[in-house]
Amino acid sequence: MKAKIITYFFIGATAFHLYSCQKDVTNEEKTGTVKITIKNTVKGTPMALNTGNYTNPFGEQYSISKFKYYLSNVSVTGNNINPVNGRYFLIDESTPASLSFSFPAPVKTYATISFLIGVDSARNVSGAQTGALDPLNDMFWTWNSGYIMAKMEGNSPQSTVVNNKVEYHIGGFSGVNNVLLNTGITIPIPPLILIDVREGRTSEIFIEADFDKWWQNPFELKIANNPVCTTPGALAKTIADNYKKMFIITEIKNY
Amino acid sequence: MKLRIILTLCLSIVFTALFIGACKKNDVPVDEGPYNPTYINFKIPAGWPTPPSDIFANNRLTEEGFQLGKKLFYDGRLSKDGNFPCASCHQQFAAFSTYDHDFSHGFNNSFTTRNAPGLFNLAWMTRLHWDGGINHIEVQPLAPITAINEMAETIDNVLNKLKVDTAYPKLFRAAFGSSEINSQRMLKALAQFMGTIVSSNSKYDKVKRGEAVFTTNELNGYNLFKANCEACHKEPLFTDNSFRNNGLAVNPFLNDFGRLQITNDKNDSLKFKVPSLRNVMLTFPYMHDGRIFSVGTVIDHYRTGIITSQPTLDPLLVNRIAISNFQKNDLIYFLNTLTDTTMTRDRRFSQQ
Repeated sequence: MKAKIITYFFIGATAFHLYSCQKDVTNEEKTGTVKITIKNTVKGTPMALNTGNYTNPFGEQYSISKFKYYLSNVSVTGNNINPVNGRYFLIDESTPASLSFSFPAPVKTYATISFLIGVDSARNVSGAQTGALDPLNDMFWTWNSGYIMAKMEGNSPQSTVVNNKVEYHIGGFSGVNNVLLNTGITIPIPPLILIDVREGRTSEIFIEADFDKWWQNPFELKIANNPVCTTPGALAKTIADNYKKMFIITEIKNY
Repeated sequence: MKLRIILTLCLSIVFTALFIGACKKNDVPVDEGPYNPTYINFKIPAGWPTPPSDIFANNRLTEEGFQLGKKLFYDGRLSKDGNFPCASCHQQFAAFSTYDHDFSHGFNNSFTTRNAPGLFNLAWMTRLHWDGGINHIEVQPLAPITAINEMAETIDNVLNKLKVDTAYPKLFRAAFGSSEINSQRMLKALAQFMGTIVSSNSKYDKVKRGEAVFTTNELNGYNLFKANCEACHKEPLFTDNSFRNNGLAVNPFLNDFGRLQITNDKNDSLKFKVPSLRNVMLTFPYMHDGRIFSVGTVIDHYRTGIITSQPTLDPLLVNRIAISNFQKNDLIYFLNTLTDTTMTRDRRFSQQ
């Protein structure tokens, strides 16, 4: 009897060591995977870089050659924040692989998704970064340290600058120029469809980003008046106030 | 029965030990060999303040990182045509400024638009560049490397040139543990070199340490300095890291409004970083656009040249600074004691 107890004890101890080997995670909470898949559109139509001809709410025609933005502090809890710490995602319409990303989340049913459009201020002042934040990604201002949170480039006959260019490089992370103040957003999941994260399973959230939202509400961004915004400041802030409304959840799949 | 217990015990211990062993992380990739950098400590000169933030907090100083940074600093391949290493505008004998140039020369016969400052005591600087646009030493090199009138290169191209070089992969491995070459590592190595350049052995420093004495003229000059200049050029760094308008006319060719261009705040119009006066005799010409060629003329500006009608003029300068010709002479004697030839001749910072 004694022998059996000792045997069980050591088997247990061995099993415990085996288990503790598996992950670096100290939290033993069960997790599943949340996958975010983004579709960039213009008024619901999939964005076509260079070839798409679009019209903004003011009747101005334009095309888009670049469309990139950062998402960070991604979380699916809403109230009890569980952000994906230290992960930054650069969504780049020209790179299909960048349009979806996954992260682990505790097993639970969620009703909201939250994220910051841009790169939090701490990473703007912490020196050379790598990965999505590598300055090679052409989203870092070299003359005025800081990340471009969102970028659109294109052309429009209504633009008065060289080659009819349209360029919106939106950034600024501190003081009166901080575009991050209002771009931490929470999107409620449509009623009756919940993100049901189950152990070892994936829940996929389909998000649509409508570029058309950049043009208005609350600020009327007319190409004829403002074809270019490439510095932090009041104009960048108002454009950020517009674009923070560009995301909607279109579908959720619990696999 | 007893035997079975002992056997079970032994087996379990062996297995447990095995699994614990398997848990140990293998930090060193097998194909890379051992990573044994020589760590170095950044020394703060006696009596100096602690730097406002530790620029090496996420970039632990190593001899290998410093040496890699030095090689990069002197390497022309960081520029488009190979002619413009960092050191082309930051010359050691000029305290790492550009000697005798208002503007420095850049790619394709171009000029820079501001005077190249000396590089020393950067670990104490809160912001870099005349307008303070750079918030961390690690990201500073991105500006000159990519500026079309300076090094005119892309970061991508620089990294590609380093990757095909025979020496660099080994040096990156020695500094960072693997031969991977990326922008972050390049920038961190450059920060290790630039950030450890310290100027703290001028005659002024020796006097402060009791190793030398000022002459009568120098002492008079020091007292004048403390009465008239110290508010902005704060000892021992001889700058307070602030941005101020010192009453210069706007250069119509440049239309440079300084810090305003960074903050978009009209209160910052015409404000520029207060430069350190250390090594001031080597860093001429002076001001953000190098418009004044001698220290004496700079003093004259503060005596009689300040444009007092500018709304953002520094409050300390509204009455200009009253210094007699005799005092001006003594002040220059003192400024001469700020030259640190130990730093300008230090082989550790030289290309060799």
